Amino acid sequence: MLQLVLFNVTNGLIIGAFYVLMALGLSLILNLSNVINFAHGNFLALGGYIAFVLTPYIGFWGALLVAPILTAVLGFVVERLMIRRVYSRDPVYSLLLTFGLAFIIQDVCRYIWGPNGLPMTVPDVLAQPLSQNLFFITGYRVFMVAVVIIAVAGLFAFLRFTRVGIRIRAGTLDLDTVAALGVNVGLLRSLNFAVGCLLAGLAGVLAAGQIGLNPNMGDDVLMPSFIAIIVGGVGSLTGTLLGGLLIGVAGALTTIVWPAASEAVIYVIMLVVLVVRPRGLMGEEGMLT
Amino acid sequence: MTMLDVRGVTKQFGSLVAVSEVSMLVAPGELRAIIGPNGAGKTTFFNMISGFFPPTRGEIVFDGTTITRMPVAARVAMGMARTFQITEIFPELTVGQNVRIGVESALGLRQRVWLGGRDAAAVRQGIEEALVMTGLASKAGRLVGELSHGDQRAAEIATALTLKPRLLLLDEPTAGMGEHETYAVANLIRRLHRNSSYTIVLIEHDMRVVFNLADKITVLTEGKLLAEGTPAEIADNPAVQEAYLGKAE
Amino acid sequence: MSATTAVPAPALSLRPWLTAAIVWGLLLTVPFWLPLVGGYTALAARVLVMGLAAMSFNLLLGFTGQMSFGHAAYFGLGAYGAGLSLKYLAASTPLAMLMGVLLGGLAGTLFGLLIVRRRGVYFAMVTVAFGQIAFYIAYSWNSLTGGYDGLRGFVRAPINLGFTTVDIANNDIAFYYFLLVVFGIAVGLLGLLLASPFGRTLLAIRENERRARFLGIPIERHIWLSFSISCAFTALAGSLYALLNNFADPMGLHYSLSGEIVIMAVMGGMRAFWGPLVGAALFVVVQDYISSMTVNWMSFVGLIFVLVVLFFPRGLLGMLQGRGSQ
Repeated sequence: MLQLVLFNVTNGLIIGAFYVLMALGLSLILNLSNVINFAHGNFLALGGYIAFVLTPYIGFWGALLVAPILTAVLGFVVERLMIRRVYSRDPVYSLLLTFGLAFIIQDVCRYIWGPNGLPMTVPDVLAQPLSQNLFFITGYRVFMVAVVIIAVAGLFAFLRFTRVGIRIRAGTLDLDTVAALGVNVGLLRSLNFAVGCLLAGLAGVLAAGQIGLNPNMGDDVLMPSFIAIIVGGVGSLTGTLLGGLLIGVAGALTTIVWPAASEAVIYVIMLVVLVVRPRGLMGEEGMLT
Repeated sequence: MTMLDVRGVTKQFGSLVAVSEVSMLVAPGELRAIIGPNGAGKTTFFNMISGFFPPTRGEIVFDGTTITRMPVAARVAMGMARTFQITEIFPELTVGQNVRIGVESALGLRQRVWLGGRDAAAVRQGIEEALVMTGLASKAGRLVGELSHGDQRAAEIATALTLKPRLLLLDEPTAGMGEHETYAVANLIRRLHRNSSYTIVLIEHDMRVVFNLADKITVLTEGKLLAEGTPAEIADNPAVQEAYLGKAE
Repeated sequence: MSATTAVPAPALSLRPWLTAAIVWGLLLTVPFWLPLVGGYTALAARVLVMGLAAMSFNLLLGFTGQMSFGHAAYFGLGAYGAGLSLKYLAASTPLAMLMGVLLGGLAGTLFGLLIVRRRGVYFAMVTVAFGQIAFYIAYSWNSLTGGYDGLRGFVRAPINLGFTTVDIANNDIAFYYFLLVVFGIAVGLLGLLLASPFGRTLLAIRENERRARFLGIPIERHIWLSFSISCAFTALAGSLYALLNNFADPMGLHYSLSGEIVIMAVMGGMRAFWGPLVGAALFVVVQDYISSMTVNWMSFVGLIFVLVVLFFPRGLLGMLQGRGSQ
């Protein structure tokens, strides 16, 4: 029983880690640019496929480093070419735009790499279980969680200590003032979008090593990521972090007692939060609307 | 008899005290102007009266009822209407539609999906009155967003008037206007005050408008009440001259 | 939000009554001209159903200014409500429609309570998440809904009018006109609603929420009412969709359909009453054509989204009618 619980908690933390990576990226973009990136799951898939293509040349470790960066570059280009054109308009347009992009990217992946799943091999070091008793904890799972922790810590450090990061945070609170101080807000938003895509790309590489690749691999993570943001409280990255972990672990623990309800519990948590605490766990009062 | 009784209101935003212990008594039919340099807390003071947010401390009594924490809709129902520093209108609707929405809301018809003949006539009459009073009758069919700045402001006032308010709050009604438009809006306010005996509280930067129109003037600086009195008293007040008028352009 | 710059008058101006006349003229004569241009009646039926869904949705987007990205849920609930009613309750088409409207409308009314204080993209995000709850229930409640395969095993029943029976079950043209009658009644009600004092309060909320609030309009309650009404009419469209296909599909609840409903409204013109119908016609026909031509139809559908947003944001009727066209 203990082993079963441990197994599911580990699972939940890993799933939660994916939600966190995705939701943090979505949150960044939402907070600064007021855009819901419906294509975020597709940037995840792109990250995975790029790593898949690169691995034969630069190995898994090289791909782990380069693929997220290339995903970020793609995100930067997409933002510059299209998304920034609609910032000044009714928000419905940015949603429709990213919605359309999601369709296109998914179909392009299917066209290039085929509709069926592709396997991605990870280095042998990572494929071994940690021990006999804890057979379910492969090195790769520990590794994934470690990478996510490093990435999240890196993101928070970036936002706290770098000039761009500080400006992103300031812009989230009051974009007009930041613009009035002479900051190039357009570029700031592009960079911020790229950072969001970087996180999605990283999630994609990690997911590819765990479950393999397919064109809609990001779809299953998109909706829980939305819910992580709603539960955590809009406007708060810490809230998003907590929200992602909470629904990941809650879903996995539910699997122990009632496997069929593991997805339902995520929605139940959201409903409870919306009824009991509409601004979310860490959301500020004023961020409700 | 008092229409509005503001008792020592204070508003704090975090550590910033925007308004501190300000009181004000407004009699029925009075036109009160609130003046003060930028950042004096005038709009914050206004926002507490109109229900945009509640004061941190203090009390507000409107026509005998304590309204300190009453929601906006209830204040409106009691007969309070306001305009904003940046004109707030329905830009993609016509002047007539803007006013109509106010009239229908004031007549309690806002959840109706059908208007009977008598209601329809009352609505038409309300629209007519507001348009005539503000001189917009000839522009009823124009989209408000396409009107001049002054006419947009007049449309906003017309919409507020449809509520037949017992207290009309005007936040810088001539802000950003040219000479001609300022004159027109000031005239409109004078008519509302003299001919229709509206009780009006307004924030205004244009001193000619203030000293020509107001019965009494309240002067705020740095969130505090500096002086209160008739235009003549305020003009002669040395503290006001030093703190405010002396520095004016 | 307040003072906006003037937009140049459109070169070609289409009056609203003229639009209505053209729309009704075309709809009433579909079975006569559609085959001549290579269409088929079932396609026109789909246009009517999706058009009603998009027009119902647009009560919220175009006329209340609130952005739901989860309307497929209420469409799908309408479809399941109708399907389940036909399968388990009685072989009655009107009852099926009623059950569909009740299921979708009540769900919308309840969810609406939780979202009325949110605005803009946050409103959209919560509506998407709510929509996925309905999707999730439909595909996991296998025993009732048929799960991922969808709900089958029901057929629309003929309509008994007392003096005669209309065989909508087998006669496609009769069914088309049946849909047109329901569509006409629903759209007529939507039109009356928009022209009423209540409808004007919705326009007021869209145009300037602050001004509306200071005119004494209870914003949250009216957004909630608008949301609920919009969901109920969307559910009616969903129930018609189930009747059309004799099938209810979990993908009919999925958020990708929500996105399609939004793009229909926008590409036809969300500020024009008939815009969403025009958008639905364009979208349904183009999608039908593309998906018969290529397996990569998703790219083209995505491209439609991108092109509309970047180059035709006001939609077809928006461009033809110019401003102030309600």
